[in-house]
Amino acid sequence: MAPDFSVVAAAVALPFLAALTAPPLYRALGDRTGYVGALVAASSFALVSTQLGAEGVVAVPWIPSLGVAVRFAVDGWALLFALLASGVGVVVFTYSATYMHGGENLGRYYGVLLAFMGSILGVAFAADMVVLFLCWELTSVCSFLLIGHETTSDDSRYAARMAMVVTVGSGLCLLAGLLLLAVAAGGPLGGTTFDLAAILANGEAVRAALRESGLFLPVLGLLAIAAGAKSAQVPLHFWLPNAMVAPTPVSAFLHSATMVKVGVYFVGRVRPLFLGPEWTALFATLGLATMLVGATLAVVASDSKELLAYSTASHLGLLVAAFGFGSYYGPQAGSFHLLNHGLFKAALFLVAGIVVHEAGTRNLNRLGGLWRELPVTAAITVVGTLSMAGLPPFNGFYSKELLFKAAYETAVTAGGLAWVYPTVAVLASALTVVYSLRFLWIFLGDRPSELEVAGRPSTGLLAPAGALALVAAVVGLVPQAAVDVAVQAAADATATEVHAIHAVIPTHLSGPVAMSLTTFALGFAAFPARDRLQTGVDRVISAGTPLWPNRWYDRLVDGATTTSIRLDAVVHGGALRTYVLWALGSASALALVGFVAADVAVRPTPELGVPLAVALVLAVALVAGGAILTAPSHVAGVLTLSILGFMIAIFYVLASAPDLALTQLIVETLVLLIFLLVLDRVPAFYHDVDARVALTDGAISLAVGAAAFVSVLVAGRGANEAPTAIAEYYVSQAVPRAGGTNVVNVVLVDYRGFDTLGESFVIAIAAIAVMVLLTMRNRGETE
Amino acid sequence: MTTTITRTTIRVVVPIVLVVAILLLLQGHKLPGGGFIGGVLTTAALVLVYVAYGLDYVEMEVLDREVESGGGIFERRIVTAYRRLFSLGLGLAVVSGVAGLLFGEPFLSQSFVVFHGVPIYHEVELASALLFDLGIYGVVVGGLLTIVSVVGAE
Repeated sequence: MAPDFSVVAAAVALPFLAALTAPPLYRALGDRTGYVGALVAASSFALVSTQLGAEGVVAVPWIPSLGVAVRFAVDGWALLFALLASGVGVVVFTYSATYMHGGENLGRYYGVLLAFMGSILGVAFAADMVVLFLCWELTSVCSFLLIGHETTSDDSRYAARMAMVVTVGSGLCLLAGLLLLAVAAGGPLGGTTFDLAAILANGEAVRAALRESGLFLPVLGLLAIAAGAKSAQVPLHFWLPNAMVAPTPVSAFLHSATMVKVGVYFVGRVRPLFLGPEWTALFATLGLATMLVGATLAVVASDSKELLAYSTASHLGLLVAAFGFGSYYGPQAGSFHLLNHGLFKAALFLVAGIVVHEAGTRNLNRLGGLWRELPVTAAITVVGTLSMAGLPPFNGFYSKELLFKAAYETAVTAGGLAWVYPTVAVLASALTVVYSLRFLWIFLGDRPSELEVAGRPSTGLLAPAGALALVAAVVGLVPQAAVDVAVQAAADATATEVHAIHAVIPTHLSGPVAMSLTTFALGFAAFPARDRLQTGVDRVISAGTPLWPNRWYDRLVDGATTTSIRLDAVVHGGALRTYVLWALGSASALALVGFVAADVAVRPTPELGVPLAVALVLAVALVAGGAILTAPSHVAGVLTLSILGFMIAIFYVLASAPDLALTQLIVETLVLLIFLLVLDRVPAFYHDVDARVALTDGAISLAVGAAAFVSVLVAGRGANEAPTAIAEYYVSQAVPRAGGTNVVNVVLVDYRGFDTLGESFVIAIAAIAVMVLLTMRNRGETE
Repeated sequence: MTTTITRTTIRVVVPIVLVVAILLLLQGHKLPGGGFIGGVLTTAALVLVYVAYGLDYVEMEVLDREVESGGGIFERRIVTAYRRLFSLGLGLAVVSGVAGLLFGEPFLSQSFVVFHGVPIYHEVELASALLFDLGIYGVVVGGLLTIVSVVGAE
């Protein structure tokens, strides 16, 4: 079945349109805006699900001259991601309606959340690099706005900035990588193209071209940085836990289920193009390292959301590692776990939100035994945490088992050092079991005496979390259903060979099953000793504090801030003199160096046949120029300067350029008048001329003069040379095409109307700038 | 700058300058001139008045309106008028460019019509470029006079 452009475009555009109306809607509807958002998400979900089974590329031209189009590729992988995003969107909007009650700036909150959903759907379907990049960066911008939702809190501003710097900064790597890819793919595809679908379709040829041009590793590296930063892979994982200052629904939606998976999604998307030994070495290693580090940090986390954040980083590592493995089990594990993790992690975040709401704390050491007060929440948590731990028959088990299979197979095939992969996977999964149980102990463990519970959570909070847990439980019980609906197609789209997914509980022992059993044994054995484990890990962490990426980030940002303050004081000193000096000096230096570097030939025999009248006028101008230097007062100086200007006007007249002459005359007059208007206020005498200043001024004047002189010599046309083709065209077409006999004016308004329009904008902007500067000073807004 | 000789000369000269400015604007397409030159000349004429008579003269004596004292320079009606003038000019220039789009031509395409048999002139050409030029004229006059009057008031 071929996809329908209008349906896909509607699914992507609908949230954006709704985002525009969100602020007024919130004013009218209040908290019920959340339900409208849920409705929008549900519509997108419905639209996307009509495309299930479709495969193909649809496009409408956007910038045809650059080959950029609004191009959507629909396949299993895109559909799975889009369904997950819009489905979790429904839940999160419903939850927000109750959870965010009484908050501030909710119109903006809903608007940004909707726009975010639109951009995530855009990323899912985009098959044009320009559109993909735009949507990718939009998700970062929305994330920034949502993390910084509490605009008055320092923590949230710090976290928002950090997320912005890391994810948008790495977005630039994506841009660079995509551009290199576009250029390299230009060879086999006939010209630089932004069509990602075409590049992926001609994978063999593009890969060969990339290898040939030596761009394979640079492109792979750049894309890996972009995806890694977005998906919180080590060492760029540190922004994710900080991002947890965002409201809980945002954490559930952006920072566990969708935005952070964009990197993973992209890794899966380009996997068929880059798959090879480098790919596995890079992504399997990166992913497993993240999995281990994230799981370790989650074990020592004392804050419920922090635990979930590190756990998210760890699971993102699992996903990246899954796609990193060359085995066909890899994409199966990745696709299935993308769904599973989205379901259970979003549910657990919502649970964390409910616990904060009812118990008033996120500190895990002060929480415990809540199952009596919150039985339904406890049930949801059981499903979520056991799924997170990967215990059968919960859904997380199947995808983790697939990962073990991929790791095991890779190790068996490659042997030797590759056995590190399954070992690390087992170790990280054992830690996962520990922190999953730790989160579950909020409900099961001993109840601290000082803990007080406000009451039962409302249905508005429970229903969304319950729905997610229910879907997760169903997937756990009937995994084949999920495989049939979306996961199989997604795995096929990211794999190079098609194999059916077998998601069953194993009945006989094999390597991967042994890995699972080891994981559970280790995890359950370590859980009772978790305090000792925490102390040990804490010691390692505090020993390594100076190496912490968070520290590096702080140092980098602080360093940039202090450097720019210092630089600003030097560069932006406030003295107009200095600016003019630098501007003129560097302009002339650039011009002269440019002429020398380009080895431009100066006209061999300058035609010196200057008419007497011209010579006379220029001589007077020269004398006036000399007189300015010795002018006794400002008024005399200005008047002498205008002699020079008027001489130039006369020179134009003699050179038969009446329009130029007229303009020069009038502008000269106006400038003179303005000078006279201002001179009234200027003191007649400042101070004696400093020799050094005079010397600098002289040097800069000479440089400017030299640059202008050489430019004229190089670029000027001799009196006897034939006019250029453009000049011929302008003159010959002025009357028949434009109806004007004044070619200068025809050039201004007809041929080069755009330039003139631009210049008039400049005048308008200058006028506005002057007004703004003076208004701001009157209001005392400048220092 | 405010001697009787200056003032008298300016009284005589400014109307002539203004007429010449308009002439330059209108003849621009055929003979030396155009929106920019006309605009700068108009500005120069008004700046002459400022130099000799001060900022309020145009409003009080020429337009015969009361000048509210006390308000800042931006509240002056004449400054508001200048601001409006350059916005209008900019708008006119853009609109004249958009008009070309309606006829399926690229943005800023100009056209012209020649009328024959007009009394006295025999033949008059109307170029759409004149509208564009008029826009430029408005921007120049409005923009420059805003700057001059705002800065001059300091």
